Amino acid sequence: MTTVLSGGADPLISLTGVSKRFPNGTLALDNVSMTVPKGQLLSLIGLSGSGKSTLMRHLNGLHKPTAGTVQVFGVEVSSASNKQLRSVRRNVGFVFQQFGLVGRATCLENVLSGALGRLRGPRYGVWSYPRTLRREAFDHLERVGLAPQAYQRADTLSGGQMQRVAIARTLMQQPRLLLADEPVASLDPESSAQVLELLLKVATEDKMTVIVTLHQVELALGWAHRIVGLRDGRVVLDQDARGLSQTDVMEVYRRVDRESELLATPNMSAAAPTTERQRA
Amino acid sequence: MTAAHVEPLARAAGNRLPRAPRKWQSKALLAVFVAYVVGVVWSWTYIDMTLLTLFGGFTELWNLVVDMVPPNVDNMRVVLKATVETIWMALIGTTACVVLSIPLAFMAARNTTPNPVVFAVARAIITLTRALPTLVLAAVLTLPLGIGPLPGLLALAIHSIGMVGKLFTEAVENTEAMSREAVTSTGAGKWQTVLATLVPQVTPSFIGTALYRLDINLRESAVLGFVGAGGVGFVVQQHLRSLDYQRAIAAVGVIFVVITLIEVVSTRLRASIIGDHLSSPTKKTPRTMARERRDHRLLVDAVTTRRLTPPWTYERLVRASAGVIYLVLIVVAFATIDIPYLSALGLGDEVIDSFGRLFPPDFTTAGPELWQGIRETVAIGFIATTLGLVISVPLGILSARNIVVNRFVYGTTRLFMLALRGLPELIVAVLFVAAMGLGPVPGTLALTVGTATFMAKLIGDALEEVSPEPREAVFATGASRAQEFVTSVIPQALPNLVSQTLYMLDVNLRSSTVLGIIGGGGIGFLLLSALRVLQEPTVGAIVIVIFVIVYSIELIGTFVRWLVE
Repeated sequence: MTTVLSGGADPLISLTGVSKRFPNGTLALDNVSMTVPKGQLLSLIGLSGSGKSTLMRHLNGLHKPTAGTVQVFGVEVSSASNKQLRSVRRNVGFVFQQFGLVGRATCLENVLSGALGRLRGPRYGVWSYPRTLRREAFDHLERVGLAPQAYQRADTLSGGQMQRVAIARTLMQQPRLLLADEPVASLDPESSAQVLELLLKVATEDKMTVIVTLHQVELALGWAHRIVGLRDGRVVLDQDARGLSQTDVMEVYRRVDRESELLATPNMSAAAPTTERQRA
Repeated sequence: MTAAHVEPLARAAGNRLPRAPRKWQSKALLAVFVAYVVGVVWSWTYIDMTLLTLFGGFTELWNLVVDMVPPNVDNMRVVLKATVETIWMALIGTTACVVLSIPLAFMAARNTTPNPVVFAVARAIITLTRALPTLVLAAVLTLPLGIGPLPGLLALAIHSIGMVGKLFTEAVENTEAMSREAVTSTGAGKWQTVLATLVPQVTPSFIGTALYRLDINLRESAVLGFVGAGGVGFVVQQHLRSLDYQRAIAAVGVIFVVITLIEVVSTRLRASIIGDHLSSPTKKTPRTMARERRDHRLLVDAVTTRRLTPPWTYERLVRASAGVIYLVLIVVAFATIDIPYLSALGLGDEVIDSFGRLFPPDFTTAGPELWQGIRETVAIGFIATTLGLVISVPLGILSARNIVVNRFVYGTTRLFMLALRGLPELIVAVLFVAAMGLGPVPGTLALTVGTATFMAKLIGDALEEVSPEPREAVFATGASRAQEFVTSVIPQALPNLVSQTLYMLDVNLRSSTVLGIIGGGGIGFLLLSALRVLQEPTVGAIVIVIFVIVYSIELIGTFVRWLVE
């Protein structure tokens, strides 16, 4: 496990002192530093508003940091040119809580839009994509079990099915890194389990590095190598998932509940850098 | 009365009525109301319209009706040819407007605009194009472009940008952002993302808006002939001028039929595009069920054989054939309409020249008349709105299904209103002028009819939408039908009624700026006489005055609507 955890000489992602202050004054990330090695399954936990989504969006340049640097695949995302940024994004799959499908378009069209990064020029409608890509899109739909729905409009599907289409769209990118932001938060328990299982399966089969934010702690512990807890934009927990108990993890949530800053701050924020240094 | 009765009433009232306004706002509303009343009283004395002139008008109208029967159809060839030209003008004008509005909308929408300067310019274009009525624009464009459909369709295209551009912009702003973020995340470029995520979302509403505008433009294009800008209006006017009422009514009949037909078609198309339920209609007949089975089979075949192109389901067939029909129509329109394309290309300089001659505007030559024209225009707008409102209330109540229980009364009222709304206001006005002679009274009456039928439909619809719970609650206390109406229906419908009245005042003031062009009173008359004698600086002055009137109405209207809401 430790070999997977350690960043090694060539980490896939490395953040150094990343802070993000939004125009409205909110400090969403506060001096976050971490590295993620290739092949790791990392789970980000924390309350809503703790900065998880913001952190994810820094990794593919949807947000730019106010301070610090974000490196993905060795590219400095925070100062990358549009072209570099697009090439980073092409290799980073992003699965959203709200799926981000175009409801009026068919599933096949939605999956095909995942190939736009590889193509030049705007495309509209299935016919505007090369036939090889259409075949590929069909394959990905098959992989997520939705080939029969290829020509159905995306908004006729159930939530779980929509998220699977979104995963197929991500597969179309053949990503090296997969970011999943609350991928199952708007699904019922049964579909959640299905979607998470699928996500894990394709990620391991295709040897992707995965960062996923989850509300369900037991799920996070179940399949992640490493757990990182965020609170108020700061890393307050960063440990090997093995050996972590659910109650340990719940601390990340509970301490905020009590709003008792005095108790929370010293232990946790001190703990995080040490654990990381120990690992490295 | 128990709490159970009061509670739903209070809730409904709380939902419908505007929240208690702040102090200065309620004062401002009161001021607006007083200003409106003063405006009406002043207008009434200004135009000097007594009830006697009103009833005298009705006898004259009756005489005209008698003169018109039987309609004379021996001129049908000319009428039909002119009607086809009218349709082509509307089609080309609307298409041109849509083509211009699409980029404008993306530049003017907050979520897609490339930069603040472009944003401001695009917004300004959209607002300003709306401020000159089509007929005024067409009349002015005949100066450089001459008589014919070209100035007419250009006027349609330019004026429509105001509405179409605004609605397109709203459609773009109302799209959801998630899919955009998602596709951007796949590494797609800016335009790839817009095309993949925004365009599918806005297309139905764009098409719906375009069809709606086509309806409006068809009505407008039917009257453009009054200023020599092409179409069937010219034929109507000629017949009326030569007192040939039987031929005139035949032409009006054709206009009515064409407008109604196209409205029915476009309404159905709009409903199917916006409603999204082309393939799953509410009623299941054997035909629709067979269709669904066929679609289902096609879909299953397509995915099992992994066809790489979407199957031709019923919905797709309908959409594609609608597209093909449109393309054929627009090609035919361009090919057959009487526009000298080659020489029209060279007219650009002349247009600029000619607009240059409108400046500097000459306000002095027509000075006192100009002032009189403005006052008359405003007076017509106020009277037509108020009179129309007064008539529309009983008419609207009669046309509400849930209030009038008698189906016959309800049906005939709705039919009567439908027939009257089928004709463009200015056609009604030109008939009234023919019956009663030149002056503000026939113009006012024509706008009154338009207002009354429009408001009656709104009142009827609003009453039908009034929520039933409060009504039931009041009935349950043992109230009579009349008591129930006063206590529960009126308070629920009132805020909407107020804002619609303001909207009508806005529309009527705009219309009354052009009524004079056909002799119906107001500033339009001056415009036409100045155009006839080619007093271009005076034309410039009048155009500016009309622009200012319409623009200030829009500003005041926006302010008052804001106050009400």
